[in-house]
Amino acid sequence: MSVNDFVLPGDVVQTVKSVRGVTVVGPGLRQNEEKPNTLCVTQAGKLCFKEPNTYWIEGKRNRYIPKKGDLVVGIVVKKVGDTLKIDIGSAEFASLSMLAFEGATKKQKPDVQVGDIIYAKLLNAHREMEPELVCIDSYYKAGKLGVLSNDGYLINISLNLAQRLLSIENPLLRTLGKKIPYEIVLGVNRKMWLFAKKAKDIITLVRCFEAAENQIDKNIIEVCKQFK
Amino acid sequence: MSSVRKTIVSNCEKKFLIKNLSEWTRLDGRAFDEFRKIDIEFGKDWGCCSVSLGKTRVLAQVSCEIQEPKSSRPSEGILNINIELNTIAAPHFESGRQSELSVQLNRLLEKCLKDSKAVDLESLCIKMKEKVWALRVDVNVLNHEGNILDCASVAALAALAHFRRPDVTCDGEEFIIHGYQQRDPIPTVIHHYPLCVTYSIFSGGHYEHREKYHLKIDFSDYIVADPTLLEEGVADAFLSIGLNAYKELCGLHLGGKAELTPDVILNTANKAAMRAGIVAQLIKDSVEEDSVKRQEKLELGFHKTIDNEKVVESIEELSLCLDQWTSKRKKNKKKKKQTKIFEENTIKMEAPRTESNLVAEIESIGKGSAALVPNDNRDNSEVWQASESEDDDDVMIVEQPKQVVDLLDIADSGSEEEAVIVLNSEKKSKKKKKKVKTEY
Repeated sequence: MSVNDFVLPGDVVQTVKSVRGVTVVGPGLRQNEEKPNTLCVTQAGKLCFKEPNTYWIEGKRNRYIPKKGDLVVGIVVKKVGDTLKIDIGSAEFASLSMLAFEGATKKQKPDVQVGDIIYAKLLNAHREMEPELVCIDSYYKAGKLGVLSNDGYLINISLNLAQRLLSIENPLLRTLGKKIPYEIVLGVNRKMWLFAKKAKDIITLVRCFEAAENQIDKNIIEVCKQFK
Repeated sequence: MSSVRKTIVSNCEKKFLIKNLSEWTRLDGRAFDEFRKIDIEFGKDWGCCSVSLGKTRVLAQVSCEIQEPKSSRPSEGILNINIELNTIAAPHFESGRQSELSVQLNRLLEKCLKDSKAVDLESLCIKMKEKVWALRVDVNVLNHEGNILDCASVAALAALAHFRRPDVTCDGEEFIIHGYQQRDPIPTVIHHYPLCVTYSIFSGGHYEHREKYHLKIDFSDYIVADPTLLEEGVADAFLSIGLNAYKELCGLHLGGKAELTPDVILNTANKAAMRAGIVAQLIKDSVEEDSVKRQEKLELGFHKTIDNEKVVESIEELSLCLDQWTSKRKKNKKKKKQTKIFEENTIKMEAPRTESNLVAEIESIGKGSAALVPNDNRDNSEVWQASESEDDDDVMIVEQPKQVVDLLDIADSGSEEEAVIVLNSEKKSKKKKKKVKTEY
């Protein structure tokens, strides 16, 4: 199996580059238990490699698996005492404590309703525990995290597109921004919150992202250049 | 998974959808009575059919076996319909367990196909009281993007129409089942083609929405054809009508709460009948097409239908999205007043479908919907047109044609019409006008 090949779960990557015995392994790969010097594929997709020693799989998988530190957009499903259950598209609902908001105390809790959209960070993601979210950073500041306004709109995009839009090289968001003033919150869990002043603009944006879904990056960049 | 999952529609989606509906737009740019594109494909086996309705996908497979008939109906074959909602379709479906939704869908499908006696069960009898064919339709939902029922009913019916069972002969005592190679298999007899057509009902102002979102809406109800997943989630009720091509009602189901007057239901049923006719014809055509392919021994199966067409399409779409936006701005500034007049004209034009002396012609896009295309239009690429009809917020399409649309009037205003087209071509806007919904 070489780089840029299409691989299937169970395939073994034989030649693995490493720097001082270290190889960075991204999603879809894990160390082969039988031969520790090789990698075992756990997900179907394209094998990608970045110098000097990073490997990962890019696939069309559409189920989000929580990972520690991910920034996600979720919907409040229910309130249980002081915790909120949030649907972030994973197998299990994530939990978010009411106290994990900026300035929240036992007496002063944030105003969150069922059905609200929340932008949060994954504090904890273990496969045997429910994922845990927070809306503050390590300095107890909210930053951009928190409850999102109900005037926007939420769409689902593919996992792949979410990653691609977040990459610095991708000009789509910037090009759109020149044409339409809009706000966007992009979670890596396939959910995206959009806000523009006019409903029409939001629809245009949604339409754009749908069109970009099946596109390779090169085409997107080319199209964006035309409309600069 | 510890608890039973329930999907929840976020408040902002609800609010946005309702706001858009109150401006007479749907999020995907369809008209209210417009359906998504339907596609029917057949697999290699007899009775294997995959139907996609927009992004919703359903696979149906018919199988048969010989059974003893029911004692109450000794000379009739048996038809079973089984709909399966897997985790493939949507993450919140649990496989292996009968959910409320799957029971409901199953029952509605049965009502439509089985209870309407669409399939000739008597022809499935081999020997009275002893042996009959039992047909089983397995419907698997592959992707859930709203309106499973319509999609499943098309798939089940198409699969039944496509299915052929092996021939059976009897020499006094023994029954011989002939393989497909030995004797030509026998098609199933289908008397009529009943189909489900689903509408979502948003009882806009009545219930909680108005108080909750402080929207000033006064109207009766929004009735939306072929709802998407989000529309299904937000809607107050859904109306599912089973109809065949002869406008015979085969099933009617109204779920949820909605205050509907009888004429609304009648009106909707009439629209649904048109749709059912179109789809029934489509099923017949595709079965026919498939049998021609089989005779010519062409390659069959799903594998060749996967192609790159979609990818190419969306490059254009993306650039059009960006392009459309800029050109729209300019146009709006310059010709705001004129566009208003266009709107009025186009509404009138759409009313008589048969008018052919216009410079534009009506072309059917998808099934059950039509588009108005200028004749000189070379580019048929689909342009997003949602903004077309809604860029002037004050153009409430519905209210204008209150002054009864007059056929003669349109013929008279033919010159105006032509002017419209000329202006359009000047602007080089490759516009494709979708049918504007007309409500009476």
